[in-house]
Amino acid sequence: MWRGAIQFGLVTIPVKLYLATESTSIGFNMLHADCLNRIQMKIYCPHHDAVVPRSDTVRGYEWSKGRYVVMTDAEMDAVPLKTVRAIEIEMFVDAKREAHEAQFVKQAYYLEPDPMGAKAFELLRQVLADQGKTAICKIVLKDREQLAALNPFDTTMLLTTLHWPDEVRSHTELNLPTAGITVKPAERAMAEQLIASMTGEFSPADYRDDYRAALMSVIEAKVGGEEPVPAQRVEPTKIGDLMAALEASVAAAREARRSAAAESAGDAAVTPSSDTADADQRPARRRRSA
Amino acid sequence: MQPTEVAGPFDDQDYLFEAWWPGTRAIASCERGVLRLQVAGLADAEAAFPELATLPSQLAEDATMLDGTLLILDADGRPDADLLRQRLAGLGRPGRPAYVASDLLWAGGQSVRLNAFHVRRAWLETILEPGDRATVGRGYRGDGTLLAEALASLGVDGLSARQLGARYRSGPAGDAWLRAPITPAEPRSRPTLALILRLPLGD
Repeated sequence: MWRGAIQFGLVTIPVKLYLATESTSIGFNMLHADCLNRIQMKIYCPHHDAVVPRSDTVRGYEWSKGRYVVMTDAEMDAVPLKTVRAIEIEMFVDAKREAHEAQFVKQAYYLEPDPMGAKAFELLRQVLADQGKTAICKIVLKDREQLAALNPFDTTMLLTTLHWPDEVRSHTELNLPTAGITVKPAERAMAEQLIASMTGEFSPADYRDDYRAALMSVIEAKVGGEEPVPAQRVEPTKIGDLMAALEASVAAAREARRSAAAESAGDAAVTPSSDTADADQRPARRRRSA
Repeated sequence: MQPTEVAGPFDDQDYLFEAWWPGTRAIASCERGVLRLQVAGLADAEAAFPELATLPSQLAEDATMLDGTLLILDADGRPDADLLRQRLAGLGRPGRPAYVASDLLWAGGQSVRLNAFHVRRAWLETILEPGDRATVGRGYRGDGTLLAEALASLGVDGLSARQLGARYRSGPAGDAWLRAPITPAEPRSRPTLALILRLPLGD
């Protein structure tokens, strides 16, 4: 948990940060296959041919090939950082995706105000939401100054750390469609139709990590002393299956017609005009031109 | 032979109705155990569909030419137009290819195009043994509207109708081969519209 304050102009809002996401991937330990004891990673110096304790290590920055400058903890602490313990809002931008590089996100955090800052927190949240704005800010997390976007999120705000522009690789070296490609109106209309037919509301709850669930069930079975059930191998689909599906569908359509005809015959006993209705529903006997 | 578009499904005892699967039309020539596929706009179809190389082994006669539809089936066994497009565009080999034969042009080194369609079709069914990758399509005589209802429920949007007494014609088919659009049932989880036929493929 990180504790600090949102700052902009003369406003200071004390807040806490909580990670908004968590990793649910299953972690494994490395064991010695013979005895099943955990393997220890020793720090080894090839020059002295010796194992070195962590306390005997220093931070080195490789400024040219094989040449290092050593940075002590004291020197690291002395680096001037304006944004220590602060979420310093630099500017407000329209909360459109194109307005900033928010697609290159690192990590999301929920904000919780200290009681004394609750009113200012809520005010800022409401104004950002009503005006459709995003606050672009800087924050120091884990000894690093980070670029971040602050957005209203339900009853709280979400701080999303972003990559700095020089961390984002250029896409210009990719082999991308160029202006030389011409698209016919009919092709565009067909593509639009395809996209429209598959357009829906994204609901994250509809998606789940099936691999993790399958892996966990194997682990649980082993813990319980059971033999894990091997994954069912999907039989390759065959063209015969498709023909069988077609035949089943034709049989269902035939049955539906039979039922409709039987109902219609039942109605005929009480409805004098049902003959006409039946005639209207009869399939066409002649081919019609397009 | 190029099909004639008609307004919609119909019933006629002179016609054999089949699904217009969302695939691409392909002429399959098999000679001395070697398959050659002709697909519009694709120079090297055999390389794109290497799994079909065993098709000649399903044929009872050599020097045979079939007219049919090339499909890519997804993991659920449904024809998937998107996967087919990826294959045709050379973007890997997703899915599982399948060939549905509808007509026979040559058999045993001889042209059978002058025979009536019902003769060619009966012949086709005797020489192509159904397998996992290739089969003769299911045909329904007379019942066009019934088949259309069944296809709509499967999300297929086209119906093929071949005149039983017609010879194989080069160029426009006239009444010999018709294509009728079907409105698939809602909701459609995946559009299986015959995009393949309407969007440019290899160019």
